[in-house]
This record gives sequence, structure tokens and C-alpha cells, in this order.
Amino acid sequence: MLKYARNKMTNVVVKDAGTLAVHGVLDDDIYSLEIDVTIELSEGKILSIDGKWHRYTTPDCPRAIPPLQDIIGFCIDDEGFNQAVHKIIGRKACRHYANLLIECCDSAKEAALIQKWKNASKCQPELRFADFINAEKSESVPGRVNASVRVEEKRRPDKGISTQEETVGDQPVAKPSPGFTIDLHVHTSPASTCSSAPEGELIQEAKRIGLDAICFTDHNFVWDPERIKALQKEHQFLILRGNEITTNQGDMLVFGLDEDIKGIISVEFLRQKVMAANGFMIAAHPFRGFLTFDAAHLGMTPQKAMQNPLFKQVDALEVLNGKVTPRENEFAHQVAEGLNLPATGGSDAHEVSEVGRYATQFSRLIQNEAELVEALKNDAYVPVAYRKENEFD
Amino acid sequence: MPDLTSFTRNRCTSVEQIDDHTLRSSCRLQDTLTDAMVEVQVKLPDLEIIQAAGEIRRTYREECLDVGEALQKVVGVRIGSGMLKIIEGLLAEVTQCAELAFMVEECCHAVILSFTKGTLKDVPDNPREKKEFFANMIRENTRLYNRCAAFAPGSSIVGDIPPE
Repeated sequence: MLKYARNKMTNVVVKDAGTLAVHGVLDDDIYSLEIDVTIELSEGKILSIDGKWHRYTTPDCPRAIPPLQDIIGFCIDDEGFNQAVHKIIGRKACRHYANLLIECCDSAKEAALIQKWKNASKCQPELRFADFINAEKSESVPGRVNASVRVEEKRRPDKGISTQEETVGDQPVAKPSPGFTIDLHVHTSPASTCSSAPEGELIQEAKRIGLDAICFTDHNFVWDPERIKALQKEHQFLILRGNEITTNQGDMLVFGLDEDIKGIISVEFLRQKVMAANGFMIAAHPFRGFLTFDAAHLGMTPQKAMQNPLFKQVDALEVLNGKVTPRENEFAHQVAEGLNLPATGGSDAHEVSEVGRYATQFSRLIQNEAELVEALKNDAYVPVAYRKENEFD
Repeated sequence: MPDLTSFTRNRCTSVEQIDDHTLRSSCRLQDTLTDAMVEVQVKLPDLEIIQAAGEIRRTYREECLDVGEALQKVVGVRIGSGMLKIIEGLLAEVTQCAELAFMVEECCHAVILSFTKGTLKDVPDNPREKKEFFANMIRENTRLYNRCAAFAPGSSIVGDIPPE
């Protein structure tokens, strides 16, 4: 018996010489919805969109319909269009509408290609589709664009897609905390495209709440040491460099490795590089779950999780992460304890207000990256709910 | 001339449980230009992809003609947060066929939705209790807050739940 099924259907009609009308239907065990989109054929610009629910889950799902209009004016051929759909429609409306819209727009691109061939065939009746495609390829590469390309916001400057909602304000002065406390997991903008927190504002907030240092761990990004020195001097605050590297087994926080790693590498290969650099490697948010269920729901136990070979490749586990649930953090804590691995904490801040939510407390002063790696390897340290403990939450 | 379609597409993705520890998720695509199938087997409880197979029977994209070997790159990947970046990154190393990555992702999303479906079976019928059920989901999982229109500030579900 099927456990789940989803059917999607799209149809494209050339309404006149200049417009494509796309009708899409998504019907699955949970949802039923449809959209009608019109797209300008020459430039691929979205001219109109209408959505309609047939079945949905929450009483507020109908709120997803009005924000669909926010995609009007975007060009389906733009690099990063799919990412824009995920960010604008997926986040502000509904991710199932985003999924269907991407399917509709991909179908429109294919239909546009067919139309282009038909137009060319009028002058060359013998022109086969395959030959037309080969000729097109020599000019450009057709097909779905890479969804990982960063969204260019310049197309719609009037409709920002930043999710930042809080700003730095006048708040109480930081209380002193024992030990030396560092937020080991912070994302800055624009180094991490998912972050909306400029480095200067993050540093000011970290100082304001009394952290001793923060560590910039942008995704597959190596900070220039001279830039870090300049920021330290400007803000009179300790800033350390790390890197959150995506491997085939998930995200790893790496310290002491200067290599600029691009693409997805295996966790074993990363381990070799970290060892060669005498660095330190932490499994980031190792049990970050899903939206409506977590690892425990799937029958995962800490004992079973400990058998994951990934944990033989890392030096520590991040057991307090600001982007996961308390249950998932507790689960990670139990696994770290069971494996006798050191445990760290980091906010995983993507917004200024999130810095310091969790941090790692060391027993001694740390003054630079070498001392951080040394402390991670040899000293005692504990993950802490820094903001809560210091009443900044 | 009547409004004849110039392009039509059907995509069907389904999940079946083949034993206590294994799920099979299949994505089939048939449209005017393409006929393709991708299937992944996933091990419970860690949702690791243990097998991947596929075939693109009809396509105008030369880069999509032989994808069986490329699909082996996703074996070992765990379905979970961040998986799209991993799947796209791994497949981009060995193939330019973007449709292949999309079909693997559809298989993985379907696995997640199969568990979501199980969770939703507990939703009460009573409107007030239903609203409270979803409000509790947000309270228990910070990632849901502001994740979509239904869970955004101003919705009746979010009500006065403060942002994390």
C-alpha cells in the first residue's frame, strides 16, 4: 500500500503571439491546490498569477493566496529565480505553492523553447527539434537554472526579501559572566547569503550582551585575516574565524583550517584536511529535524544514533544550537554524552538579535584562533544558554 | 484555432514502505519532451538513502541521457534539513542534468511528507482545538514560526506567540 502520493500536472497554452498561459494542479494526500500563471513569452516575465485551494491543513492556509502576487514582475529565466520563489512564495505564502509555481515556470520554459522552434520552422520547414536545440546550445545553454545561485534583489528593489525584524536598540548593560564565553557559530551578511546580519551590527550586539568573543562561521567561506584584524581594531572586540562546511553528511564547524573549500565534499575528506591542518571539527546541529516531526518520531534513539559513523570523524558535537528545538538539542546532548565527545554551543545566528542565544564557556582567556583550537582540544568547556542565563531573552 | 496545449506535464511521486526498515520513493515524469523515472530507497530511522536508480528514456538534453552512474553520488545522503544543497552539490559534480537533481529532491520531499501525513492524523476536528494543535506545534518548534503565511505573525494560529 502506498504511504504517500503526490500528483502534479501542468498545461501550457500559447494565448497569443506574446503570452503563455500555464495551468498547474498539485494534488496529494495532504493538499490540493491549483494556480494559473501568465508569462510574457519574449522576456519570461510573470504577468499575473491566481491561486486556489481545494484542500489544506490549517485554518490559516488561505492567507497564502494574497502574497502570490509578490512574484509578479519576476523573470522566470533569471538566475536564482527558483531560489526567489522559495524565499518569496515559499516563506511568505506556502511552500507547496512555491513547488507548483516552479513546476509551472519550468513547463513554461519548455513551452517557450517549443514555440521558438515552431517559429524557426516557418522559415525552415525541414528543421527538426533536435537540430534546433543543437543550434540553440551553441548560443546558450537552455534548461532549468541552478537553484543555488544567489537571488539578485535588484530586479525588485521595492519588495525586499529580508526577514530581519529586529534592530539593535537601547538595552540593559551586560552582566558579567564567569569564564570566557564565545558564540562559536555566527553567520554574517553578505558572506552567508542566508544571513541578514551585517558583521558590524553582530559585533556591537555581542559586545552589548557581554560575550567575550564571537566566531564568524559563514558557509564555505574563509574570512580574510586582515579584514578580521581591522574589525577587531575598529570594535575593540575579539573576533575569531571558523567555517561551516557542508559535507555529504551535513554541516561541520571547522576551526584552524584556512582552505577555501567549494562544492560538497565527503566528511572523511574534510576530516583528513582538518587533521593535516591540526584543526578542530564539530558536527553542527547534528539532529536538526523537520517541521512537524523529529528524529525521535522516526524511531531514532540516542543509542541507535551513536552508531552513525559520522561521529567517528568529528572532535565534538554542537549540542546547543539556536535553530533547533530543545528536544533536538537534548537528543544531541545525550549522544555526545554517550560517545564521550566534547559538547559545544553556538547561536547559529542569522539575525543580529540571535547572537549569543547559545555559546560555549571556556575556563580560560582566549586571545586568538590558535588558542581557540588549543582550548577546544585540551581544555574543559561547556555549552551555555547565554542569553537566557543573562536575562537578555 | 482552439486553445490547444503546446506543452503538458505529469509528475507523480509516491512512497511505499517495503519492510519495517525501508521506504521506497519514486518520481515519474512524463511531459511533451521528457520521460523519466528516479527511485530511491531510504533506511529508517535515520532516513539514509541506501539505493538510487533512474532512467531518462526520452529527452532532448544530451546531458540527461545516461544518469544511472551519477545517481550513485546521493547514496549515503540523509534526508533532512540542508539536503537540497547537498544533493544539488553532489550531482553537479558529475552531471549537468538539473532535472535529475529535481527528481531526487521530489523523492526526498515525498518521504518527509509521508511522515507529515502521519503527524496530521492527530489534528482534532473541533476548530478551537485544531487551532491550538497548530499553535502548540509552533511553540514546540521554533523553525515553524514565520515559515509560511499560516504561521506568520497576524495569523489566528500564531496569535500572541512571541518570536523566539
